[in-house]
Amino acid sequence: MTSSTSLKPLAMILPGLALAILIIGYPIYDLGYASLHEVSRFGQLRDFNGFNNFRDVFEDPLFYGSLIRTLIWTFAVVGGTLALSLPIAMMLNEEFYGRGLARVIIMLPWSISLTMTAVVWRWALNGRAGLFNATLMDLGILKEPIEWLGEANQAFTVEILIGILVSIPFTTTIFLGGLSALPQDTYEAAAVDGATRWKQFRHITLPLMKPFINIAVVLNVIYVFNSLPIIWVMTEGGPANGTDILVTYLYKLAFRFGQLGKASAISLIMFGVLLIFTIIYVLLVMRGEAGAEAEE
Amino acid sequence: MLKKSILFWLILSPLVVVILFPFGVMFVSAFRPREELFTYPPTWTFSEFRWANFAEMWVKTNFGQALLNSLYVSVLSTLLAMILSIPAAYALSRYRFPGKRAYRTFLLMTQMMSPIVLVLGLFRMMVALGLVNTLNSLVLTYAAFNMAFTIWMLQSYFSTIPRDLEEAAWIDGAGHLTSLLKVFLPLAVPAMAVTAIFGFINSWNEFVLALTMIRSSDGFTLPVQIYSQVAGRYQIEWHHVMAATMLATLPVAIVFSWLQRFLIRGMALGAVK
Amino acid sequence: MFHRKVATFAASALALGLLAGSAFAATTVNFTVAEYSSKTGPFYKEVAADFEKANPDIKINIEVVPWDSLLQRLTTDIAGGTPPDISIIGTRWLLDFASQGVAEPIDSYLTPEFKGAFIDTFMKPGIIKGKTMGLPVAASARAMVINTDLYEKAGVKPPKTWEELYQASQKIAKLPDTFGFGLQGKEIETDAYFYYALWTYGGDILRADGKSGLDSPEALAAVSLYKKMIDEGLTQPSPTNYSREDVFNLFKQGKVGTIFTFPMLIPQIKAEAPNLHYAVLPFPVEKTEATYGVTDTLMLFSSSKVKKAAWKFIEFTYQDKYRKQFDLGEGFLPVTKNIAALDYFKTDKDIAGFAAGLPYAKFAPVIANWEEIADTTVRALQQIYLGQVSPADGLKAAAKKINEIRGL
Repeated sequence: MTSSTSLKPLAMILPGLALAILIIGYPIYDLGYASLHEVSRFGQLRDFNGFNNFRDVFEDPLFYGSLIRTLIWTFAVVGGTLALSLPIAMMLNEEFYGRGLARVIIMLPWSISLTMTAVVWRWALNGRAGLFNATLMDLGILKEPIEWLGEANQAFTVEILIGILVSIPFTTTIFLGGLSALPQDTYEAAAVDGATRWKQFRHITLPLMKPFINIAVVLNVIYVFNSLPIIWVMTEGGPANGTDILVTYLYKLAFRFGQLGKASAISLIMFGVLLIFTIIYVLLVMRGEAGAEAEE
Repeated sequence: MLKKSILFWLILSPLVVVILFPFGVMFVSAFRPREELFTYPPTWTFSEFRWANFAEMWVKTNFGQALLNSLYVSVLSTLLAMILSIPAAYALSRYRFPGKRAYRTFLLMTQMMSPIVLVLGLFRMMVALGLVNTLNSLVLTYAAFNMAFTIWMLQSYFSTIPRDLEEAAWIDGAGHLTSLLKVFLPLAVPAMAVTAIFGFINSWNEFVLALTMIRSSDGFTLPVQIYSQVAGRYQIEWHHVMAATMLATLPVAIVFSWLQRFLIRGMALGAVK
Repeated sequence: MFHRKVATFAASALALGLLAGSAFAATTVNFTVAEYSSKTGPFYKEVAADFEKANPDIKINIEVVPWDSLLQRLTTDIAGGTPPDISIIGTRWLLDFASQGVAEPIDSYLTPEFKGAFIDTFMKPGIIKGKTMGLPVAASARAMVINTDLYEKAGVKPPKTWEELYQASQKIAKLPDTFGFGLQGKEIETDAYFYYALWTYGGDILRADGKSGLDSPEALAAVSLYKKMIDEGLTQPSPTNYSREDVFNLFKQGKVGTIFTFPMLIPQIKAEAPNLHYAVLPFPVEKTEATYGVTDTLMLFSSSKVKKAAWKFIEFTYQDKYRKQFDLGEGFLPVTKNIAALDYFKTDKDIAGFAAGLPYAKFAPVIANWEEIADTTVRALQQIYLGQVSPADGLKAAAKKINEIRGL
């Protein structure tokens, strides 16, 4: 009996697991192998060279710049997305006229690929031919067209904002799922007790939403950290590498400069950074949850 | 209710404007005559609806083929991911088994590898498998990359379907499989639909892998086809690019809006918890 | 026994032939084509169809790849062990291909007659260590294009020197809503926009000893002039947000007096801004005349198992009628003598304006890691244009980095 119950679930996860190990596991192995070898311009493995590729990475000032910008990019996009998505989800969870339409609109950015979104925004933000400046000028907000992507900090800010915009639908969906699962009677009881809306939010909504916020944080961090299209299409990491994050730098190293060994090393470092983040986060969350259970 | 509606729409309006803005840009750039693309200052209005832009674009960018390719890849990869994910998610939500935690961690880890990081290794593998330049290489990779998320989603939905119902059916004499088919599945369909939409959209929009795996332009999916109209060209036909983007976006947007009720119902299902 | 084997073989071959139709053809040649415009793919497919008609035993399989992903595509192809038999590549990549043994020397295939069809200037960049590693397939030379209406309005003459360009730009920039000089500062070929000035100031990308020429006084003078024009508002604002295409669009809008460009822009101007009056002129000169000659190369892969068939196809594509269709259709300069002799390249004053620079054209040096060196140059230029570093410091740092990359 025990053996059959433990075999059955294993048989159920096995086919999927096999595919994942093949498609995702093998390339990781391949990458690890390549990172310890000299790799020719065209990806042919040459001699084993120990940690030379890693040393190259750590001696490269552009790597550190990209690393710092990656952290800013991830933190800003995920933070901004969470801060906006929770109130949006709470509004969309309530009844109001046109809610269906509002939901459709808020979800829309999800239906375009990031590549296409970035292409359209690049065109719209074009200093003189773009409609963004033209609209702001028509409205009297701007007098002169602004070159939004001309200077690194400004371009990076714009890219972060667009990053937030495209992350909202996914995050809002997760939150909507969470909100609709909240027990209504708790709120009714709280309302009878005279709790203000803020108090209800602080003491009922937020704690109950915690698991959903957690999953939103983890998944968003992973997606945003690895996201290439927005920055690549809009500025290619420029001007003067001022908007380069690790993935764009990796892409350039691998496919423009042909430094595949060094690129493999960066891939693994990125993987390591995410792994550490996830472990820390999972530990913190679990400890938090264990604590909460203990309190109850 | 009316007051609340107005207030909500007011609060949401900046976001709504920013979301709709690129669609507007797409729309007016796609329809205007080419010579009006670079007037300064640019305007929202234009002299005529140039439907011919779409006809030209369709032929020049080989749009129909790319559309079919995208559909093929997205539908099949979603199906494959669902077929593999449903039992896995069911196992996670209903059984204890050795290595369950390790499996969960593995799922999370597979999420961490972005395709771009793996592209070279993946490519070498597809060559070995003889799958390079076939749409099936994308079907396999998309399914694999989507699975972590679909399993996760399905599992959390499945956990909200009360086990008592199944057990009740079981006790009533139905076999395990029958109870699964008769009781569990109908309850799980909306959740599966929602999850499938996620998977479909991810596949529909994927870019880096498609760019690498597909060698001949006949096999390009929509994002790659549109990117190839922009990248490194001596001349970018923006009106065609925008027309193509619009056409590529419309079907998904429509499907999305249409399946919204599933989405909402699927979410509401969590309320059973 | 033997007969039976042959019979089985013949039968199965027949069956295969019936199944696969034209795939009965013994050899397939894979050809990766860089997509210059939407005409490129259809053009080569047409040539391939003609070729297959003449050579039913050879099948040509054409893969059209956008320029921006071409190098990535070839890299993954080679890494994955599935390179094509022939490919169009940027000549600047050729050394990397040659030094890794990816490119096949073609001297043994080149008949004197076929070799003689090419213009020598364009053959040269493809010769590495005395061996011909590829054939020129597309060529362009750059030139200055001015908006003659704006020049007239401002009452200035077309510039012959950089000082004249500077003064003309000052006057044109004073016209309402107009910029004097269109300066590219973003993405592909940002460095080329600077080389034009570098060369005509008498500098070069590499010194005679192979070290970077960016820390030379000529380079400093050239970049300082650009910077001065930015600071005085003679260029469009924020050049670092203007890619090649953006600068050209500005020109098509009639908003800028002078730009540096390639022949492919002319058909665009004619189609999109038919009322714009322009003239194609040589670059301003400080010390010497110069232009940037860019060629792309048709390369045979050493790994190819069908080199003979591939070469047959290559020779086929260089027939005059195809070259004419290709060069005229894409707006390239001719690489073969017969096409260059066509009246079109002499009487058409736009094309003649670009072709005029060919005798003194400079090419990007054929060196390893060229893309990384170009990227280093672009980064330095952007930092200078943005005012993050002084011209002298920026160039010095870039030169140092380039020497490191070159291992000097």
